[in-house]
Amino acid sequence: MDKKYGVYICTGCGIGDVLDTEGLCGVPKEEGIGVKTHPFLCGKEGVELLKKDIADDGINTLIIAGCSRRVNFDVFNFAGCIVDRVNLREQVVWSHPRSEFPALTEEQKDDGEHFDRLQMLAEDYIKMGMAKVEKIDLPEPSMLETISKRILVIGGGITGISAAIDAAKAGYDVTIVEKEASLGGNAAKIRKQLPNEDPFESLIPPIIEAKIKEAEAYSGIEVKTNSIVARIAGQPGEFTVTLKKPGEATEFDVPYPLPDEMKVDENGKELDVEKLIEVYNEYNKGKKDILTLDPDGELFGAVILAAGWRPDKLEGKAFTHLGFGKLPDVVTNYQFEEIAAKGKITRPSDGNEAKSVVFIQSPGKGDDDSDFDYTGSVTSLVALKQAQYVREDYPEGKAYIFYQHMRTPGLQENFYKSIQQDEGIFLTKGDVISVAKNGDGLIVEADNTLLGEKIQVKADMVVLAAGMVPATVDDPVINLAYRQGPGFRDNAIFNEYADSNFICFPYETQRTGIYAAGCIRRSMTIEESIEDATGAALKAIQCIESVNRGVAVHPRSGDMTFPDFFFQRCTQCKRCTEECPFGALDDDEKGTPKPNPTRCRRCGTCMGACPERIIGFADYNIDSIGSMVKAIGVPSEDDYSEPPLRFLGLVCENDAYPALDIAGMNKLTYSADVRFIPVRCLGSVNVIWIKDALSQGMDGIFLLGCKHGDDYQCHFVKGSELADIRMKKIGEALTSLALEEERVAQFQVAIDEYDKIPEIVNTFVEMVEKLGPNPFKGF
Amino acid sequence: MADKCLVEPNLEFIKEVVGLGGDTLKKCFQCATCSVVCPIAPDNKPFPRKEMIAASWGLKDKLVGSMDIWLCHNCGDCTTMCPRGAKPGDVLGAIRSYAISEYAVPKFIGKAVNDPKKLPVLLGLPVVIFLVLGFITGLLDFTPGGDKIVHSNFFSSWLVDMIFVPLAAWAVVVFGIGLKRFVNDMHENAVLEGKTDKKKLEIGGLIRGLFSVIPTILKHSKFSECDENKERATAHLMVFYSFIGLFIVTNIFFVVLYVFQIHGPYSQMNPVKWLANVSGIALIIGSALMIKNRMGKTDQVTSYKDWYLLILVLGLGATGMLTEMTRLAGIAGLSYALYFIHLMFVFHLFIFLPFSKLAHLVYRTVAMAYGEYGNR
Repeated sequence: MDKKYGVYICTGCGIGDVLDTEGLCGVPKEEGIGVKTHPFLCGKEGVELLKKDIADDGINTLIIAGCSRRVNFDVFNFAGCIVDRVNLREQVVWSHPRSEFPALTEEQKDDGEHFDRLQMLAEDYIKMGMAKVEKIDLPEPSMLETISKRILVIGGGITGISAAIDAAKAGYDVTIVEKEASLGGNAAKIRKQLPNEDPFESLIPPIIEAKIKEAEAYSGIEVKTNSIVARIAGQPGEFTVTLKKPGEATEFDVPYPLPDEMKVDENGKELDVEKLIEVYNEYNKGKKDILTLDPDGELFGAVILAAGWRPDKLEGKAFTHLGFGKLPDVVTNYQFEEIAAKGKITRPSDGNEAKSVVFIQSPGKGDDDSDFDYTGSVTSLVALKQAQYVREDYPEGKAYIFYQHMRTPGLQENFYKSIQQDEGIFLTKGDVISVAKNGDGLIVEADNTLLGEKIQVKADMVVLAAGMVPATVDDPVINLAYRQGPGFRDNAIFNEYADSNFICFPYETQRTGIYAAGCIRRSMTIEESIEDATGAALKAIQCIESVNRGVAVHPRSGDMTFPDFFFQRCTQCKRCTEECPFGALDDDEKGTPKPNPTRCRRCGTCMGACPERIIGFADYNIDSIGSMVKAIGVPSEDDYSEPPLRFLGLVCENDAYPALDIAGMNKLTYSADVRFIPVRCLGSVNVIWIKDALSQGMDGIFLLGCKHGDDYQCHFVKGSELADIRMKKIGEALTSLALEEERVAQFQVAIDEYDKIPEIVNTFVEMVEKLGPNPFKGF
Repeated sequence: MADKCLVEPNLEFIKEVVGLGGDTLKKCFQCATCSVVCPIAPDNKPFPRKEMIAASWGLKDKLVGSMDIWLCHNCGDCTTMCPRGAKPGDVLGAIRSYAISEYAVPKFIGKAVNDPKKLPVLLGLPVVIFLVLGFITGLLDFTPGGDKIVHSNFFSSWLVDMIFVPLAAWAVVVFGIGLKRFVNDMHENAVLEGKTDKKKLEIGGLIRGLFSVIPTILKHSKFSECDENKERATAHLMVFYSFIGLFIVTNIFFVVLYVFQIHGPYSQMNPVKWLANVSGIALIIGSALMIKNRMGKTDQVTSYKDWYLLILVLGLGATGMLTEMTRLAGIAGLSYALYFIHLMFVFHLFIFLPFSKLAHLVYRTVAMAYGEYGNR
C-alpha cells in the first residue's frame, strides 16, 4: 500500500496547556509530513476533520497524538487506514506536572545547558509513532481452505450432554464421545442431587436422565459410546479426529514426544538430529507421524473437553492417622455415595446400620489446614448432602461434619442453612487428629474446634472428603497430534486443572480450539457444570466463527494478524516450536516449523524467541519496534553540558500499559526520561531491541510485565517468565561488553498495582544514574 | 478410651430448648458477633457464642450447669446484631428455662408450669385447696357481716397463714435442693472450662461473693449496660423493688399480727401502708411496662412461660390494689371476690416460684455471686 501520512495532534485534555504545540508540529514538518492540530479531536468536528483528510487528501496512515490507545479506539477507527495512537495525555502531560518538570524560560532556550524534559518526551513519542507506521502494514486475514463447523464433545456426563444441547440449540452439529457404554457419567451414580433452583433448600432427584432424554431429541447431536479419541490432528476449523474403542491400538494413536532422558546417549551427551529421529521413530513405532492426517478421520471445527473427573482414591497418601485403608468403616465420600445409592447406609465392615457418621473435610496435619487435593465448594456441599442421607435413613441418626473450610457459594448458602436446621447434624471447624477403633465402632478426635477444646465423637462410619481428580491428570485425553505433545503442557501451573490463566479466561485451555468445561477445570457441582457447559459451548462457537473469518479467537479477539515466517533464513533451531505456549507450530523432520495459524493466539512469543528474527506480524514486528527504539533521541554531551539519561521501558500491553495509564489518570508522577513501548507480551520481546537500545547509547532498559509465580496473570500462560529467562541470558552478554548487568531489568506489576509504577520507574532510574551514563553514548 | 472430652449430642435436649423459645438456635454459624457486642460478657471465654454451639450440638451438661447462662441479662444486643437471625438472647433464655426445670424437683411440676394445657388444672388447684381447707376448718365465711369490710372475716388470716406459711417453706426447700446441685455443677463446669481460678468450692467465699454482688443487683447496674433493651431496666427495676417492698410489708404485718396481736385493715396513715401502696402501684406499672415492651418487640420471642409470669405479676398487683380500693369504696361483694382471686395469684407465686421463670431471682443471684467469688 502506498502510504500517505498525516500527523494529528489533539491539544485538548490539558495537552496544549502543557506542551509547546508548535514544537510538536515541528517534528513531522521536519520530515515533510503534514500536521494538523485540533482542540477536541475525538469530538464530532475533530473526527470530521480526519475523515475529510482521508477522503480528500488520500491520507491513509494517521498518527494521532492525544489520548491513550486504550480509549477512543472506536472513534479513531477508519477502514483501510493504518492508525497509530501517540499517548501524550496519560503518559506525558497527566503524569508529568509542569511544577516538577518546568518549561524553559526565553533565556534558557538553546543555551546548551537547559532542556525541557517533558517536551523531549512528547516529541520522542511522536517520532516513535512516525517510525512505527512506516514499518507496518494493514493485516490481511489468513483463511483456511475448508472449515468444519461441527463440534466434538469429549465426555458424555452432565457437562458434555449440557454443552451438546447448548451447541445444538445454537444450530451446530455436535458429536459426543463417551468412553463408557452409556451416557451419564458420575452424575448417574448418585442417590440425590444438590438443589439446582430457587429456593436452593432441599435435595432433588438426579436430573441426568432428563438431560439425556433432552439431548436425544436433537437431531444435530450424535452420540458415540464406547469410544475415545485416538488423535486430534490439524488445527481449529479443520481438526481431523480419529476415534477408537477404549484399549484398542491403532496406527493413528497419537505419537508421544521423546522424554528428556531419551534425548541423550549413555554419557549424557545430546543425540544428533538423525539419531534423535531414529530413537523417536522407535519410541513411537506403529504410529503415524503427527503431520500425517487420517484419511478416514472426521472433521471438526472445535472441541469441548468435558472429560470430567474420577474420585481421588487417597491411596498411598499420608492419611493413616485417619485410619484410611486400615479401618474398613473409614471410606471416601465417593464410596459413601455408592453405598447410599444402593439403599440404607450400612457399614462396610459388618453391614450394620451406620447411625452416627463423621464427615472429615480436611486431613488436618500439623499447621496445614488445607482440604484434600482437588476439592472445593462441591466437597463441602456433598458433605452436607450426605449428612442429610444419614438423617433420612435414621430418625435418631447423627451426622458430624468437621471442616477447615465450609464453602457454600451463591444461593447454595440456603442449602447450608437448611441442613444446619436439622437437629441431628452437627458442624464444627476443627483439626482432626485421629480416627481410631473404639470397641465395635470408631472414635474421632479433633482439636481447636468451635466447642473450644479437644473433643471426641463416637462414630459408626467416617467419611473423608476426597477430591475430584480431573481426567487429564491420568491421561492426555485430547491426544493432540501436536509436536509439543498430546496433552496440555503447563497444567502444573494451574494445580493440574485444564486452564490457562489463574483469574481470567474460563474455558480457555492452553490449546486454541479446545474448551474445557466442568470438573476438568475445577471441582464443580452439577448445577455449576451445566452453567460451565454453556460457557464452553459459546467459546467453541466463537472459535469456529472467528476461524472462518481468519481472525484470532482469544485473547486478542478479532486480531487479523498472524505470524509470518521468512523460511529461507530459518536455521531449524526449533526454539519457536518449543517456546510457543499454545503448541501452534509443528516442525517437520528437518525441524522447519509448520505454522498452524488458527491454533495461534498472536502473542508473538515465537517472534521473541527467534534468533534469526524471521518471524513477524503485519503490524508488529522486529523492524517496527526496532525502528521505534531507534527513533528515540539520545542526547549526548555534544547537545548539553549535562545531558539527561535515556531509558527504554518495554511494557506488556495487557497489564503494565493499562497500569501506566491508570497511574497517569491518578496524576502519579515518574521520571520523564523513560520512553515506553507497548508489546503484545513480554514473551514477544526479542533481545535485538535491547541490544539496539544499548548500542544507541541508552542508559537503562527495563521490561514491565505481569506477575508470575503462584498467581500467574500472563495472558499467554507464561510470557513474562520466558522473558525473565531471556533477560538473565542477556545479562551475561552485557558483562562481556563491560556494561553493568543492572542496566537491563525486569519488573512485575499487576493491572491494579498502578500505585507502584512511580516507585518501580524512579528506583530503576536512580539506580542507573548512580552507575553513570552508558559508555557507548555518542559513538 | 472415651474420656471427658467425649461429646454426645442429646437430640431431646435440642428439641426441648427449641420448644422453650430457642427455635432459632440452629441458625448460628459461629461468627461470634454476639460475644463481641455483648456489653456484659467477660473477656475470658465470653458468652453467648460458645453457648450457641453447645446448644446446637445438644450438649446439655455443658449448659444447664453453666454460670454464664445466668450472667446473661437478656439485653438482646446479640439478637439484634446477629447476622443470621439466630437470636442468642432468646436461646439463652430458653436454656435458662430448661435449667430451672432441671434443678427444681419434683420435675413434673416444672413441666406443668411450662405447659399451657395444664393451666386450667394449675388455676383450679388453689381454688380447691382454699375451699376444701376453708370448709374443713370453717375459716372461710361466705357471708361475712359487719358494716366494715374486713377481709379476714371472709378469708380468715389463720386460713391464709395455714396455707401460705408452708408454701413459703416449700419454695425454700425446693430452691435449697436445686441450688445444692446447681452450685456444684456450676463449679465443676467452671473448672472444666477454665472460667474460674478456684480449684475447690468454699461456701464461705461464695457467701462473701453474694454480699459483694448485692449492690450490683440493687442498682441493676449490669442490666443498664445493655443497649438494645435499656427501657426494660426501668420496668424490671420497678417490679424488683415493689417485690422487695411487698416482702417487707408482708413480714411487718406478720409480726404485727402474731406479736402485737393487731388485726388489719390498717390505717392509710400508717407508713407501712404507704410502702404497701407505693409497691403495689409500682408492681402494676412495672409489669404493664414489661408487657408493653414485649408487645413492641416483634423480633423477640415471647413464649408461654413469659406470658404466664407477666400476667401473674400484673394480676398480683392489680387484684391486690383493686381489693383495697373496693374495700375503701365499700363494695363488699366485689372486694371479697377480688381478694379471693388475689390469693390465687399469691398461691401461684409461692408454689411455682422455684419452677417458673421467676426462679431466676435465685439462680442468677447465686451465679453472679459465684462469678464474683470465682473471679469470672
